[in-house]
Amino acid sequence: MTATTETLSPDAAVRHPPGDLAIWIFILAELTVFAVFFAAYAFTRMDNVELFNEYQQHLDQRAALINTLALITSSYFVVRAVSAIREENRRHCVAWLLAALAMGALFLIVKIGEYQHHFIEEGVSLSTNTFYMFYISLTFFHFMHVIMGMVILAAVVVMAARGKYSAAEHTGVETGASYWHMVDLVWLILFPLVYVMR
Amino acid sequence: MNSTKRKLGIRPCTWVYLFLITFTFVTSMVGQMGLGGLTVSFLILLLALLKGHLVGYYFMGLGRVKGLWHWPVFIWLFIPGILIGTAFYLTATQA
Repeated sequence: MTATTETLSPDAAVRHPPGDLAIWIFILAELTVFAVFFAAYAFTRMDNVELFNEYQQHLDQRAALINTLALITSSYFVVRAVSAIREENRRHCVAWLLAALAMGALFLIVKIGEYQHHFIEEGVSLSTNTFYMFYISLTFFHFMHVIMGMVILAAVVVMAARGKYSAAEHTGVETGASYWHMVDLVWLILFPLVYVMR
Repeated sequence: MNSTKRKLGIRPCTWVYLFLITFTFVTSMVGQMGLGGLTVSFLILLLALLKGHLVGYYFMGLGRVKGLWHWPVFIWLFIPGILIGTAFYLTATQA
């Protein structure tokens, strides 16, 4: 893959994206599914504008802000982890990845709090109305991807701590990073679409 | 993150991070103020697409990838962006 080339010249153009090519096929498949979900939300909203606008106001804007900041920050930490391993600094790579995992955990905690409010206190379910059907489906599908991303990052942390990566070979770190950035990327569209746009 | 060239002693990825955080606060403020309508929605959508592009180009490192692999995130942002924009436009014009 690209690791050796990047180590020799960090700014040089490359022909393949960072990480394993297989993860990029997976990422494109995931992005396609989310794109269909987003379009379905937007076009279903056309026939239910008042309903969507009304129930959108029931969502916790502050929690959404915290979650967006958490995911962006975690993505930034992952970028720093990749930079660290390219500079042969394994200790910093592990530290940045652990920080990214902590931000991921913060996202999950805030999201669980949000779900608790809607499911337990408000008694919301998939069948409550069309807006909540989309809200629950979209955010829970993304929630599962955050968990998956954290599992991948945790595996990368273990490997990095055992000295399996170096400046010359760190495809695993880049693969995990690419998946995590995809999780962030999806949320960057989901957040304004479901919580803000009306 | 591709580039290692620093401006004002700050890594390019840190600049991107600061832009992303700023745009997020702007989006959130609009949401908390309850602003709506076609213009506001389009601006928020454009801001989201720009944030996505920054993540793809800088964080995912696609900015320096030549050929076909340079484009997937850009195309992914473009297609849902057009579809969401069209749906909101039709909603506003039909109302």
